[in-house]
Amino acid sequence: MASNAELIKVTGLCKHFYNGDLKALDGVDYSINKGDVVVVIGPSGSGKSTFLRCLNLLEVPTSGEVVFKGVDITKKYYTDKNGNKVRLNIDEHRRKMGMVFQHFNLFPHMTVLANMTLAPIKVKKMDKETAEKKARKLLERVGLADRADAYPIQLSGGQKQRVAIVRALMMEPEVMLFDEPTSALDPEMVGEVLEVIRELAQSGMTMVIVTHEMGFAKEVGKKIVFMADGKIVETGSPQEIFDNPKSPRLQDFLRKVL
Amino acid sequence: MFTSAGFAKTWQYIQLFKEGLICTLSLSALTVIFGFIFALILALMRMSKIKPLSWFATCYVELFRATPMLVQLFIVYYVVFAKASLPNFKLFGFIRFERFFPGVVALSMNSGAYLSEIIRAGIQSIDHGQTEASRSLGLSSRQTLFDIVLPQAIKNILPAIANEFVTIIKESSICYTIGVQEIMYAVASIKGATYRIAEPLLIATAVYFCLTFPTSKIIAYFERRMSRGFKR
Repeated sequence: MASNAELIKVTGLCKHFYNGDLKALDGVDYSINKGDVVVVIGPSGSGKSTFLRCLNLLEVPTSGEVVFKGVDITKKYYTDKNGNKVRLNIDEHRRKMGMVFQHFNLFPHMTVLANMTLAPIKVKKMDKETAEKKARKLLERVGLADRADAYPIQLSGGQKQRVAIVRALMMEPEVMLFDEPTSALDPEMVGEVLEVIRELAQSGMTMVIVTHEMGFAKEVGKKIVFMADGKIVETGSPQEIFDNPKSPRLQDFLRKVL
Repeated sequence: MFTSAGFAKTWQYIQLFKEGLICTLSLSALTVIFGFIFALILALMRMSKIKPLSWFATCYVELFRATPMLVQLFIVYYVVFAKASLPNFKLFGFIRFERFFPGVVALSMNSGAYLSEIIRAGIQSIDHGQTEASRSLGLSSRQTLFDIVLPQAIKNILPAIANEFVTIIKESSICYTIGVQEIMYAVASIKGATYRIAEPLLIATAVYFCLTFPTSKIIAYFERRMSRGFKR
């Protein structure tokens, strides 16, 4: 696939809560190309996390389309290459999208290694030995080779989040979604997690990152999306967004956070 | 009240207590197994998005928790199984199946109602982030339930399940009213044969205590062991 091929296209995305009293997403259109590193910023309650969670349907949108690799995953059926109507299995699509959460969400009853190999073994039918070998290699990459047999409770926050990232990478996703990956971390552990994400960005992984770390957004993001009140207010390169903000809303936001 | 002559007489029928013990144990063990499976199904039904399923499970649980065990047992034995001709063979050579089986059914239906509420609370106590993480990795809702949510939920509710097991051992005594030959049935038989009641009751008390006390201790030990790895 060409490097600028469209991977995810979102149109008219709305997510309402409480029968429409709260419009977390109010008509969002955006496309993400292969190799993009999209950083979503904005004030609390602006809908950034909801937007991210709609991309892999953890949040089911009220209306709108999420087209992932040519398939609208918000619908129950889709038409395949041969023109047949096929029932959509959301699990198949989620496998191709890795997700990292603010609160890590490691499985506390499993060791680090078991956390990582569970999905490849259960879903991809990979044999245990191959999966463990692969897991150890990834752990080495993030400097946690010696923690393979530890339980999540024995890890620091930064270590947990690094494990969560490589757990998602085990499935070889085509896009990685990060939902405020450093917000629950102690300040001294933020760096080690950002380092892993930075390295991932350099390797060419397509990523969507929701974050409050403006410095990091500026450095790693290739495209910045600024959201407020459930809408995308402004998009552009880091230079455009941070050095030359156009909308008053963004100017106001940047004045407060920088 | 207690006389040595009374104990001597009772002792002649000690075989009845041995049989009663075996019967109580099989009754309780089967009830726990069937009750748990049934409770799991009930709990899943109650949390189901399909309205008639959750409605049925809710009614079932409320009904069984709000009526006496004895009434339930009699309905199962005298009404439900009245016309059914159960095979009348004997388990272990003495337990009459046609009485034992309705006992197991009634106890399982009753404890299923209680256990399902425990299981439901256990499942709901697991952070939703666990489910989200699992689903985001591509695991199905079924795999998520059995590999991620249930193992953690069961660990959390183990003390309550153990409690229920102990309760079942004690409540199984009610089955003597339909002629299941468990420990209380032995007491009644010995009373009939010897006209002694205090001594058989004392022995029954001792036997029940010896069953329930170590059971709760053993489960408490496993609970401590299991939680060692991954306290949250």
